[in-house]
Amino acid sequence: MNLERIPNEEKLSLCRRYYLGGFAFLPFLWLVNVLWFFREAFLKPTYTEQLQIKSYVKKSALGLIVWVAVLTTWITIFQHFRAQWGEVGDYLSFTIPLGTA
Amino acid sequence: SSVEQKIYVVLNETVPCVRLLNATHQIGCQSSISGDTGVLHVLETESDLDWILSSGPHPPYMVIMETAFFNRSVMMRMKNSSRVAGVAVIISKTGLADNFSPHTTCPNQNTGVYSESYGSDLANCNGTVWNPLGNGLSYEDFSFPVFALKDENQTQVLRKCYEDHNQRVNGSAPQYPLCAMQLFSHMHAVTDTVTCMRRTDLQNRFSINPEVLCDPLSDFNVWTSTRPLNNSAKGHAADESVVIAATRLDGRSFFWEQAPAAEGTVSGIVTLLATIQALYPVTQEAPPPRNIFFSFFQGEAFDYIGSSKMVYDMEKNDFVIDMNNVHSMLEIGQVGLLSGRSLWMHSDPVSRQNKSVDTEVSEMMSRIQSAAAGLKLTVDHPSVSQPLPPSSFQRFLRARRIPGLVLADHNTSFTNRYYESMYDDAENLNVTYPPGLTPDEQLVYETDAAKSLAEVATLVARSLYLQAGGEENNLNNITADPKIVAQLLYGFLVQKNNSWFRSLLPPEVTKKGVNSPGPPQFYIGLGPRVHGPAHSVTRFVQYILANLTGTVTNLTESQCQNPSELSTENKDLFSYFWVSGPASVNGTREPFCVRASVRLSKAVSPAFELLEYGSRNYSTWTESRWKSIRARIFLVASRELEMLTLGVGVAVLLLSLLVTYFISSKAELLFSSARETPTTTY
Repeated sequence: MNLERIPNEEKLSLCRRYYLGGFAFLPFLWLVNVLWFFREAFLKPTYTEQLQIKSYVKKSALGLIVWVAVLTTWITIFQHFRAQWGEVGDYLSFTIPLGTA
Repeated sequence: SSVEQKIYVVLNETVPCVRLLNATHQIGCQSSISGDTGVLHVLETESDLDWILSSGPHPPYMVIMETAFFNRSVMMRMKNSSRVAGVAVIISKTGLADNFSPHTTCPNQNTGVYSESYGSDLANCNGTVWNPLGNGLSYEDFSFPVFALKDENQTQVLRKCYEDHNQRVNGSAPQYPLCAMQLFSHMHAVTDTVTCMRRTDLQNRFSINPEVLCDPLSDFNVWTSTRPLNNSAKGHAADESVVIAATRLDGRSFFWEQAPAAEGTVSGIVTLLATIQALYPVTQEAPPPRNIFFSFFQGEAFDYIGSSKMVYDMEKNDFVIDMNNVHSMLEIGQVGLLSGRSLWMHSDPVSRQNKSVDTEVSEMMSRIQSAAAGLKLTVDHPSVSQPLPPSSFQRFLRARRIPGLVLADHNTSFTNRYYESMYDDAENLNVTYPPGLTPDEQLVYETDAAKSLAEVATLVARSLYLQAGGEENNLNNITADPKIVAQLLYGFLVQKNNSWFRSLLPPEVTKKGVNSPGPPQFYIGLGPRVHGPAHSVTRFVQYILANLTGTVTNLTESQCQNPSELSTENKDLFSYFWVSGPASVNGTREPFCVRASVRLSKAVSPAFELLEYGSRNYSTWTESRWKSIRARIFLVASRELEMLTLGVGVAVLLLSLLVTYFISSKAELLFSSARETPTTTY
């Protein structure tokens, strides 16, 4: 959707919907929010709704960074220690690689 | 695809080493999922070993190992090196050492009868080391594939490739392109049986596409008796006192499905079959008071799978007899390498501390001595404090202290120098035929080994008859036929596709041909799911027993499949087999129905029924599954050439992108036509 052609109030409500939706364990919505509205929030000349859009984009970015940090930590730990965890590791896995521990 | 055929030469017959797992360990070999590739190098001398392990400039190497180098020290050095991608061992008699046994020095030490609580000073081969020449290679875990090269032509192909491309010229390293080999033998199971079965269960419950990772080793035991036993009546059999005569049915080696097991197993099987042939007519005419129960146990090489299952069934009252029915037991161990010496009767010193058991065992020994009186054999007993060798009898002793003996040709350690290896073949048992005989002549030729085993069989048969309470004056009628022994040795050691076996087996097997040429292999395998109704050796023994002890009936084929419809036939006491019959002059066969009291009983470790995959008491051996096992050779280029080719390709790609962008941005300038712009009039 081309943001050029939508009135500013609709842009604000879209940004808000994506921001609120991300709280349902959907960090990709926050990612989309940041990438899509970045130019609108920071690079366009000022208009009334821009302040709120800017705050939503900043909060989405913050949430995104937290998610990335948590997931990266957990994935690293799991990939490294799964073999050593034996039974627990197997119960936590969806697919277990064949032929390696 | 023809490009693939121009690059790769596929090796047809591959003999891999696979991964086996038990409760705590994994053994065998593993390759990467996309195969292991290495530059070929033939290991013939010590300098080759240095080249492979340290000085060669083209690691990793795929080692073609001459027979003399396949020993523990070399293989351990390969295992610890990162420069070895895999090993292909040449299996031949030239260069073979005087002895080679990849098995452990103390076979089945944790599942026998001797433990902390029973004869603790005899446990773990503290008393006698049974297999001192064992190097334990079969029980090591290798992270690279190890294949065997049995076919001389295939080895020639590899040598030619090596000599054409990889040979060192005047001590300098060979130049690329070099001949390389790729071995695929990726095993799915890891760690141990507990892990593997747990993951299989998880897959079956939660996965959309469940994959089984490993299978328990299983097959069937074969049993028969002189008086038929009611197969549908399980538990204690009333008024039956039974003497058990047992031997093992299986063997193993380092490689998968290769186990000629001549001295280790065939000597026992042939002796017991000849014993049954000698004993059966007399037990029908002048039956002794006790029943004699003959049993062939499968899977004994892997912690006594068959015998532990039979004892477990007996204790659970799930078998035709139970432990209360058992009077005594005589087991036939390795009896092939007698060569004029005496036969030894091994007994268990711990149970003999009990007076009554001791008297029974002594009486049994004296009966065997008296049976040997008229024969050329001498029988002796080893020192009283020596424990039993690894034998199925040990599993029976674990359940109850019954009197019993194990007959063997060795006093202390094994005389078999190639125990559980690929070299325990006909030659090891001195079964050789003079040149120029046709297969049918070889079938009936009585070698010295056949005559010796026939003597042993006569001894065992007469001893069993006496042990079962038979009369002494009937003993002279009990003699094993050397011709039958010769035929059995030929069938089990040289060629399983012979005229006698073909006449004993059912027509569908005979018509299909008994698969591959050569002797049968005695590895237990995975049983009915993989191999068909029963493993070929189990089936051979079953049908041979039906031939030796059964009676011919005139039932038709459909009646033979469903004998319960006839009132004269009893499916509880007998089994009915539809066999091919001998080939007549013009090649046709007339099949007929044989009735015999021969049965199969399942031989799978009780650990898998009890779901105790980490059991210390029962065998927990499983075999991993795999997708494909193959090998191929091809020429490889140096790493630098590969990187250069890749680099040039990437550069061409980037250049083309650049040129396209440039042309696209200057399109009007470049492609303005030479034609005049048409003057337009408006």
